[in-house]
Amino acid sequence: MPRLGELERSVMNVLWDAAAPLTVREVLDGLGERDLAYTTIMTVLDRLGTKEMVRRERDGRAFRYAPALTRDAATSELLHAALDEAGTDRTAALVHFARTVDPAEAQALRAALDEIESRNSG
Amino acid sequence: MTPVLLGLIGLALALPVPAALARTSLPLLVPRAGIVLWQSFALAAILAISGAALSTALWLVTHDQLTWWRIALHLTILGIGVLVWSRFWWAAWTVWRETQSRRRRQRHLVDLLGEADGMAPALRVLQEETPIAYCVPGMSSPRIVVSQGTISTLSAAEYAAVLEHERAHVRRRHDLVLEAFTVLHVAFPRFLRTDAPLVQSQVMVELLADDAARRSCGEAPVARALVALAGAPTPAGALGSGGAAGVRMSRLRDPDPRNPAASIAAYTISVVVLVAPTVLLAVPWMVHAWHTLTT
Repeated sequence: MPRLGELERSVMNVLWDAAAPLTVREVLDGLGERDLAYTTIMTVLDRLGTKEMVRRERDGRAFRYAPALTRDAATSELLHAALDEAGTDRTAALVHFARTVDPAEAQALRAALDEIESRNSG
Repeated sequence: MTPVLLGLIGLALALPVPAALARTSLPLLVPRAGIVLWQSFALAAILAISGAALSTALWLVTHDQLTWWRIALHLTILGIGVLVWSRFWWAAWTVWRETQSRRRRQRHLVDLLGEADGMAPALRVLQEETPIAYCVPGMSSPRIVVSQGTISTLSAAEYAAVLEHERAHVRRRHDLVLEAFTVLHVAFPRFLRTDAPLVQSQVMVELLADDAARRSCGEAPVARALVALAGAPTPAGALGSGGAAGVRMSRLRDPDPRNPAASIAAYTISVVVLVAPTVLLAVPWMVHAWHTLTT
Protein backbone atom coordinates (compact mmCIF):
# COMPACT_ATOMS: atom_id res chain seq x y z
CA MET A 1 0.00 0.00 0.00
CA PRO A 2 1.59 3.29 -1.08
CA ARG A 3 1.97 6.14 1.38
CA LEU A 4 -0.83 8.68 1.65
CA GLY A 5 1.23 11.48 0.08
CA GLU A 6 2.07 9.41 -3.01
CA LEU A 7 -1.57 8.36 -3.25
CA GLU A 8 -2.65 12.02 -3.23
CA ARG A 9 -0.28 12.64 -6.11
CA SER A 10 -1.60 9.71 -8.13
CA VAL A 11 -5.23 10.66 -7.49
CA MET A 12 -4.50 14.23 -8.52
CA ASN A 13 -2.88 13.00 -11.73
CA VAL A 14 -5.94 10.90 -12.54
CA LEU A 15 -8.16 13.95 -12.02
CA TRP A 16 -5.87 16.16 -14.08
CA ASP A 17 -5.81 13.67 -16.96
CA ALA A 18 -9.60 13.26 -16.95
CA ALA A 19 -11.72 15.36 -19.30
CA ALA A 20 -14.64 15.69 -16.87
CA PRO A 21 -15.28 15.41 -13.11
CA LEU A 22 -14.96 11.81 -11.86
CA THR A 23 -16.77 9.71 -9.28
CA VAL A 24 -14.80 7.91 -6.57
CA ARG A 25 -15.30 4.64 -8.48
CA GLU A 26 -13.89 6.18 -11.66
CA VAL A 27 -10.87 7.53 -9.78
CA LEU A 28 -10.31 4.05 -8.34
CA ASP A 29 -10.49 2.53 -11.84
CA GLY A 30 -8.19 5.23 -13.17
CA LEU A 31 -5.55 4.34 -10.58
CA GLY A 32 -5.60 0.76 -11.85
CA GLU A 33 -4.51 -0.72 -8.54
CA ARG A 34 -6.46 -3.70 -7.30
CA ASP A 35 -5.69 -3.52 -3.59
CA LEU A 36 -6.95 0.01 -2.91
CA ALA A 37 -10.15 0.38 -0.90
CA TYR A 38 -12.99 2.63 -1.98
CA THR A 39 -12.92 4.36 1.42
CA THR A 40 -9.19 5.06 1.08
CA ILE A 41 -9.83 6.99 -2.13
CA MET A 42 -12.64 8.88 -0.41
CA THR A 43 -10.27 9.83 2.39
CA VAL A 44 -7.65 10.99 -0.10
CA LEU A 45 -10.20 13.07 -2.04
CA ASP A 46 -11.36 14.56 1.25
CA ARG A 47 -7.82 15.53 2.16
CA LEU A 48 -7.28 17.07 -1.27
CA GLY A 49 -10.51 19.00 -0.77
CA THR A 50 -9.26 20.42 2.54
CA LYS A 51 -6.09 21.51 0.75
CA GLU A 52 -8.25 23.31 -1.81
CA MET A 53 -6.85 21.20 -4.62
CA VAL A 54 -10.07 19.36 -5.46
CA ARG A 55 -13.66 20.56 -5.93
CA ARG A 56 -16.61 18.34 -5.14
CA GLU A 57 -19.87 18.65 -7.02
CA ARG A 58 -23.16 16.81 -6.54
CA ASP A 59 -24.37 14.68 -9.44
CA GLY A 60 -27.68 13.07 -8.57
CA ARG A 61 -27.04 10.82 -5.56
CA ALA A 62 -23.26 10.68 -6.02
CA PHE A 63 -20.43 13.19 -5.81
CA ARG A 64 -18.07 13.98 -8.63
CA TYR A 65 -14.58 15.34 -8.12
CA ALA A 66 -12.61 17.77 -10.30
CA PRO A 67 -9.26 19.52 -9.85
CA ALA A 68 -9.66 22.99 -8.32
CA LEU A 69 -6.97 24.23 -10.72
CA THR A 70 -5.36 22.75 -13.83
CA ARG A 71 -1.92 21.17 -13.73
CA ASP A 72 -0.52 24.16 -15.62
CA ALA A 73 -2.12 26.63 -13.22
CA ALA A 74 -0.73 24.70 -10.23
CA THR A 75 2.75 24.61 -11.79
CA SER A 76 2.72 28.30 -12.56
CA GLU A 77 1.47 29.18 -9.07
CA LEU A 78 4.29 27.11 -7.58
CA LEU A 79 6.95 28.63 -9.83
CA HIS A 80 5.58 32.11 -9.35
CA ALA A 81 5.87 31.76 -5.58
CA ALA A 82 9.31 30.21 -5.95
CA LEU A 83 10.73 32.74 -8.41
CA ASP A 84 8.92 35.90 -7.39
CA GLU A 85 11.72 38.24 -6.39
CA ALA A 86 9.66 41.41 -6.58
CA GLY A 87 8.32 41.20 -3.04
CA THR A 88 11.76 40.15 -1.75
CA ASP A 89 9.70 37.49 0.01
CA ARG A 90 9.11 39.73 3.00
CA THR A 91 7.63 37.00 5.13
CA ALA A 92 10.46 34.56 4.41
CA ALA A 93 8.10 31.73 3.56
CA LEU A 94 10.78 30.18 1.36
CA VAL A 95 14.54 30.24 1.64
CA HIS A 96 16.39 30.12 -1.67
CA PHE A 97 19.81 28.75 -2.41
CA ALA A 98 20.70 31.73 -4.57
CA ARG A 99 18.96 34.62 -6.23
CA THR A 100 19.89 35.38 -9.81
CA VAL A 101 22.40 38.20 -10.29
CA ASP A 102 23.07 40.52 -13.20
CA PRO A 103 25.79 39.67 -15.78
CA ALA A 104 28.39 42.03 -14.29
CA GLU A 105 28.03 40.46 -10.89
CA ALA A 106 28.04 36.95 -12.35
CA GLN A 107 31.39 37.88 -13.91
CA ALA A 108 32.75 38.95 -10.52
CA LEU A 109 31.51 35.71 -8.96
CA ARG A 110 33.30 33.67 -11.62
CA ALA A 111 36.53 35.55 -10.99
CA ALA A 112 36.27 34.78 -7.28
CA LEU A 113 35.56 31.13 -8.08
CA ASP A 114 38.71 30.92 -10.22
CA GLU A 115 40.69 32.09 -7.24
CA ILE A 116 39.22 29.36 -5.02
CA GLU A 117 39.83 26.71 -7.69
CA SER A 118 43.45 27.73 -8.25
CA ARG A 119 44.12 27.75 -4.51
CA ASN A 120 42.67 24.25 -4.16
CA SER A 121 44.62 22.82 -7.07
CA GLY A 122 47.83 24.64 -6.16
CA MET B 1 14.45 62.45 33.83
CA THR B 2 14.49 58.66 33.59
CA PRO B 3 11.53 58.38 31.17
CA VAL B 4 13.00 60.95 28.79
CA LEU B 5 16.45 59.33 28.79
CA LEU B 6 15.00 55.86 28.24
CA GLY B 7 12.80 57.22 25.48
CA LEU B 8 15.81 58.80 23.77
CA ILE B 9 17.79 55.57 24.04
CA GLY B 10 14.86 53.71 22.51
CA LEU B 11 14.70 56.13 19.60
CA ALA B 12 18.46 56.04 19.07
CA LEU B 13 18.42 52.24 18.98
CA ALA B 14 15.59 52.30 16.48
CA LEU B 15 17.17 54.47 13.80
CA PRO B 16 20.65 56.06 13.97
CA VAL B 17 22.41 53.18 15.70
CA PRO B 18 21.22 50.48 13.23
CA ALA B 19 22.05 52.79 10.34
CA ALA B 20 25.59 53.15 11.69
CA LEU B 21 25.92 49.42 12.29
CA ALA B 22 24.73 48.69 8.75
CA ARG B 23 27.58 50.79 7.36
CA THR B 24 30.15 48.64 9.13
CA SER B 25 30.39 45.11 7.80
CA LEU B 26 30.68 43.66 11.30
CA PRO B 27 27.46 41.56 11.27
CA LEU B 28 28.37 40.00 7.92
CA LEU B 29 31.88 39.12 9.09
CA VAL B 30 30.51 37.05 11.96
CA PRO B 31 26.98 36.00 10.97
CA ARG B 32 26.10 34.12 14.16
CA ALA B 33 27.20 36.95 16.45
CA GLY B 34 25.74 39.41 13.95
CA ILE B 35 22.27 37.93 14.40
CA VAL B 36 22.60 38.23 18.17
CA LEU B 37 23.84 41.80 17.81
CA TRP B 38 20.90 42.95 15.68
CA GLN B 39 18.39 41.21 17.93
CA SER B 40 19.92 42.72 21.05
CA PHE B 41 19.55 46.21 19.56
CA ALA B 42 15.90 45.62 18.82
CA LEU B 43 15.23 44.08 22.22
CA ALA B 44 17.06 46.92 23.97
CA ALA B 45 15.00 49.48 22.03
CA ILE B 46 11.76 47.80 23.06
CA LEU B 47 12.93 47.51 26.67
CA ALA B 48 13.99 51.16 26.78
CA ILE B 49 10.69 52.40 25.39
CA SER B 50 8.72 50.13 27.74
CA GLY B 51 10.85 51.37 30.62
CA ALA B 52 10.09 54.95 29.64
CA ALA B 53 6.38 54.19 29.63
CA LEU B 54 6.54 52.38 32.97
CA SER B 55 8.51 55.06 34.78
CA THR B 56 6.12 57.65 33.40
CA ALA B 57 3.14 55.82 34.78
CA LEU B 58 4.70 55.79 38.24
CA TRP B 59 5.71 59.44 38.03
CA LEU B 60 2.16 60.43 37.11
CA VAL B 61 0.68 58.87 40.22
CA THR B 62 3.39 59.94 42.66
CA HIS B 63 4.48 63.45 41.73
CA ASP B 64 3.13 66.35 43.82
CA GLN B 65 3.16 69.31 41.47
CA LEU B 66 1.54 68.43 38.19
CA THR B 67 1.75 71.01 35.44
CA TRP B 68 -0.17 70.50 32.20
CA TRP B 69 2.89 70.25 29.96
CA ARG B 70 4.47 67.59 32.13
CA ILE B 71 1.31 65.57 32.05
CA ALA B 72 1.05 66.02 28.29
CA LEU B 73 4.68 65.00 27.71
CA HIS B 74 4.43 61.97 29.90
CA LEU B 75 1.09 60.88 28.54
CA THR B 76 2.71 60.97 25.09
CA ILE B 77 5.57 58.75 26.22
CA LEU B 78 3.14 56.40 27.93
CA GLY B 79 1.09 56.23 24.74
CA ILE B 80 4.19 55.41 22.71
CA GLY B 81 4.98 52.58 25.13
CA VAL B 82 1.53 51.06 24.72
CA LEU B 83 1.73 51.53 20.95
CA VAL B 84 5.13 49.82 20.73
CA TRP B 85 3.89 46.73 22.52
CA SER B 86 0.64 46.44 20.64
CA ARG B 87 2.40 46.93 17.29
CA PHE B 88 4.97 44.32 18.23
CA TRP B 89 2.43 41.63 19.10
CA TRP B 90 0.23 42.50 16.14
CA ALA B 91 3.23 42.20 13.81
CA ALA B 92 4.26 38.88 15.37
CA TRP B 93 0.77 37.48 14.87
CA THR B 94 0.28 38.65 11.26
CA VAL B 95 3.77 37.62 10.12
CA TRP B 96 3.40 34.20 11.71
CA ARG B 97 -0.04 33.61 10.21
CA GLU B 98 0.87 34.77 6.72
CA THR B 99 4.12 32.82 6.65
CA GLN B 100 2.38 29.65 7.83
CA SER B 101 -0.34 29.88 5.21
CA ARG B 102 2.07 30.59 2.34
CA ARG B 103 4.29 27.70 3.39
CA ARG B 104 1.33 25.34 3.71
CA ARG B 105 0.14 26.21 0.21
CA GLN B 106 3.63 25.82 -1.19
CA ARG B 107 4.00 22.43 0.53
CA HIS B 108 0.70 21.19 -0.88
CA LEU B 109 1.67 22.24 -4.41
CA VAL B 110 5.16 20.82 -4.15
CA ASP B 111 3.88 17.50 -2.82
CA LEU B 112 1.48 17.14 -5.74
CA LEU B 113 3.80 18.36 -8.50
CA GLY B 114 7.21 17.25 -7.25
CA GLU B 115 8.57 13.74 -7.23
CA ALA B 116 9.62 12.39 -3.84
CA ASP B 117 13.13 11.05 -3.64
CA GLY B 118 13.47 7.70 -1.88
CA MET B 119 16.82 8.65 -0.34
CA ALA B 120 15.74 11.88 1.35
CA PRO B 121 12.18 12.06 2.65
CA ALA B 122 12.00 15.86 2.56
CA LEU B 123 13.32 16.22 -1.00
CA ARG B 124 11.00 17.02 -3.93
CA VAL B 125 12.16 17.16 -7.53
CA LEU B 126 10.21 19.36 -9.96
CA GLN B 127 10.08 18.51 -13.68
CA GLU B 128 11.28 21.95 -14.64
CA GLU B 129 14.22 23.06 -16.76
CA THR B 130 14.84 26.34 -14.89
CA PRO B 131 17.45 25.66 -12.20
CA ILE B 132 15.66 26.18 -8.86
CA ALA B 133 16.74 25.26 -5.34
CA TYR B 134 14.99 26.36 -2.19
CA CYS B 135 13.48 25.06 0.97
CA VAL B 136 10.08 25.38 2.55
CA PRO B 137 11.18 25.51 6.17
CA GLY B 138 9.01 24.89 9.18
CA MET B 139 8.50 22.93 12.36
CA SER B 140 6.42 20.16 10.76
CA SER B 141 7.30 18.54 7.45
CA PRO B 142 9.85 20.90 5.89
CA ARG B 143 10.62 20.40 2.19
CA ILE B 144 13.72 20.87 0.10
CA VAL B 145 12.78 21.60 -3.50
CA VAL B 146 15.04 21.31 -6.54
CA SER B 147 14.21 21.24 -10.22
CA GLN B 148 15.38 18.76 -12.83
CA GLY B 149 17.26 21.72 -14.30
CA THR B 150 19.29 22.06 -11.10
CA ILE B 151 20.27 18.40 -11.16
CA SER B 152 21.34 18.49 -14.80
CA THR B 153 23.22 21.81 -14.40
CA LEU B 154 25.26 20.80 -11.35
CA SER B 155 27.88 18.12 -10.86
CA ALA B 156 27.28 15.50 -8.16
CA ALA B 157 29.55 17.32 -5.69
CA GLU B 158 27.87 20.69 -6.34
CA TYR B 159 24.41 19.16 -6.00
CA ALA B 160 25.44 17.59 -2.68
CA ALA B 161 26.65 21.01 -1.51
CA VAL B 162 23.32 22.63 -2.41
CA LEU B 163 21.38 19.95 -0.51
CA GLU B 164 23.69 20.33 2.49
CA HIS B 165 23.16 24.11 2.40
CA GLU B 166 19.37 23.72 2.35
CA ARG B 167 19.46 21.04 5.06
CA ALA B 168 21.37 23.47 7.26
CA HIS B 169 18.58 26.05 6.81
CA VAL B 170 15.98 23.47 7.79
CA ARG B 171 17.90 21.85 10.63
CA ARG B 172 19.08 25.05 12.27
CA ARG B 173 15.69 26.69 11.99
CA HIS B 174 16.95 29.70 10.05
CA ASP B 175 13.30 30.40 9.29
CA LEU B 176 12.85 31.42 12.94
CA VAL B 177 15.72 33.91 12.63
CA LEU B 178 14.20 35.37 9.47
CA GLU B 179 10.76 35.51 11.06
CA ALA B 180 12.09 37.33 14.12
CA PHE B 181 13.73 39.95 11.88
CA THR B 182 10.59 40.24 9.77
CA VAL B 183 8.41 40.75 12.85
CA LEU B 184 10.68 43.54 14.09
CA HIS B 185 10.73 45.09 10.63
CA VAL B 186 6.95 45.09 10.41
CA ALA B 187 6.59 46.25 14.03
CA PHE B 188 8.72 49.38 13.63
CA PRO B 189 6.89 52.34 12.07
CA ARG B 190 8.13 53.09 8.56
CA PHE B 191 9.70 56.46 9.47
CA LEU B 192 11.52 54.89 12.41
CA ARG B 193 13.35 52.02 10.78
CA THR B 194 16.00 51.06 8.28
CA ASP B 195 15.85 48.04 5.97
CA ALA B 196 19.39 47.10 6.96
CA PRO B 197 18.63 44.53 9.69
CA LEU B 198 16.14 42.60 7.55
CA VAL B 199 18.37 42.64 4.46
CA GLN B 200 21.43 41.64 6.49
CA SER B 201 19.54 38.86 8.28
CA GLN B 202 18.80 37.25 4.91
CA VAL B 203 22.49 37.37 4.01
CA MET B 204 23.60 36.14 7.44
CA VAL B 205 21.54 32.92 7.32
CA GLU B 206 22.93 32.22 3.84
CA LEU B 207 26.47 32.65 5.19
CA LEU B 208 25.72 30.24 8.04
CA ALA B 209 24.25 27.64 5.65
CA ASP B 210 27.29 28.05 3.36
CA ASP B 211 29.54 27.46 6.37
CA ALA B 212 27.67 24.23 7.13
CA ALA B 213 27.81 23.04 3.50
CA ARG B 214 31.49 23.91 3.35
CA ARG B 215 32.27 21.86 6.44
CA SER B 216 30.89 18.68 4.90
CA CYS B 217 31.58 19.27 1.19
CA GLY B 218 34.52 21.71 0.99
CA GLU B 219 34.35 25.30 -0.25
CA ALA B 220 34.95 24.68 -3.97
CA PRO B 221 31.68 22.75 -4.66
CA VAL B 222 29.67 25.35 -2.70
CA ALA B 223 31.30 28.18 -4.66
CA ARG B 224 30.80 26.42 -8.01
CA ALA B 225 27.12 25.75 -7.21
CA LEU B 226 26.66 29.38 -6.20
CA VAL B 227 28.14 30.61 -9.48
CA ALA B 228 26.09 28.10 -11.50
CA LEU B 229 22.76 28.94 -9.84
CA ALA B 230 23.19 32.68 -9.29
CA GLY B 231 24.41 33.08 -12.86
CA ALA B 232 21.59 31.00 -14.35
CA PRO B 233 19.13 32.78 -16.62
CA THR B 234 15.63 33.09 -15.15
CA PRO B 235 12.37 33.68 -16.96
CA ALA B 236 10.63 37.06 -16.78
CA GLY B 237 13.81 38.97 -15.98
CA ALA B 238 13.60 38.25 -12.28
CA LEU B 239 16.73 39.69 -10.70
CA GLY B 240 17.37 39.30 -7.01
CA SER B 241 19.03 41.46 -4.43
CA GLY B 242 22.42 40.58 -5.79
CA GLY B 243 24.60 41.71 -2.87
CA ALA B 244 24.20 38.41 -1.07
CA ALA B 245 26.01 36.31 -3.68
CA GLY B 246 29.05 38.59 -3.62
CA VAL B 247 29.29 38.57 0.17
CA ARG B 248 28.91 34.78 0.23
CA MET B 249 31.59 34.37 -2.40
CA SER B 250 34.12 36.45 -0.51
CA ARG B 251 33.47 34.43 2.63
CA LEU B 252 34.02 31.21 0.63
CA ARG B 253 37.22 32.70 -0.74
CA ASP B 254 38.51 33.28 2.77
CA PRO B 255 40.46 30.13 3.79
CA ASP B 256 39.49 30.68 7.43
CA PRO B 257 36.39 32.86 7.75
CA ARG B 258 36.21 32.53 11.52
CA ASN B 259 36.94 35.86 13.10
CA PRO B 260 37.14 35.46 16.88
CA ALA B 261 38.03 39.11 17.58
CA ALA B 262 35.04 40.42 15.63
CA SER B 263 32.83 37.78 17.27
CA ILE B 264 33.86 38.83 20.74
CA ALA B 265 33.36 42.48 19.82
CA ALA B 266 29.85 41.79 18.52
CA TYR B 267 28.85 39.74 21.57
CA THR B 268 30.30 42.39 23.91
CA ILE B 269 28.37 45.18 22.22
CA SER B 270 25.19 43.06 22.45
CA VAL B 271 25.60 42.58 26.19
CA VAL B 272 26.49 46.22 26.81
CA VAL B 273 23.53 47.49 24.79
CA LEU B 274 21.16 45.21 26.68
CA VAL B 275 22.62 45.67 30.16
CA ALA B 276 23.79 49.30 30.26
CA PRO B 277 20.36 51.01 30.14
CA THR B 278 19.08 48.52 32.69
CA VAL B 279 21.90 49.09 35.15
CA LEU B 280 22.38 52.81 34.64
CA LEU B 281 18.77 53.91 34.45
CA ALA B 282 16.31 51.20 35.33
CA VAL B 283 17.93 50.03 38.58
CA PRO B 284 18.29 53.53 40.13
CA TRP B 285 14.73 54.21 39.06
CA MET B 286 13.50 50.98 40.64
CA VAL B 287 15.27 51.85 43.88
CA HIS B 288 13.70 55.29 43.74
CA ALA B 289 10.30 53.81 42.91
CA TRP B 290 10.57 51.44 45.84
CA HIS B 291 11.27 54.32 48.22
CA THR B 292 8.46 56.42 46.79
CA LEU B 293 5.93 53.66 47.08
CA THR B 294 6.91 52.46 50.54
CA THR B 295 7.19 55.82 52.31
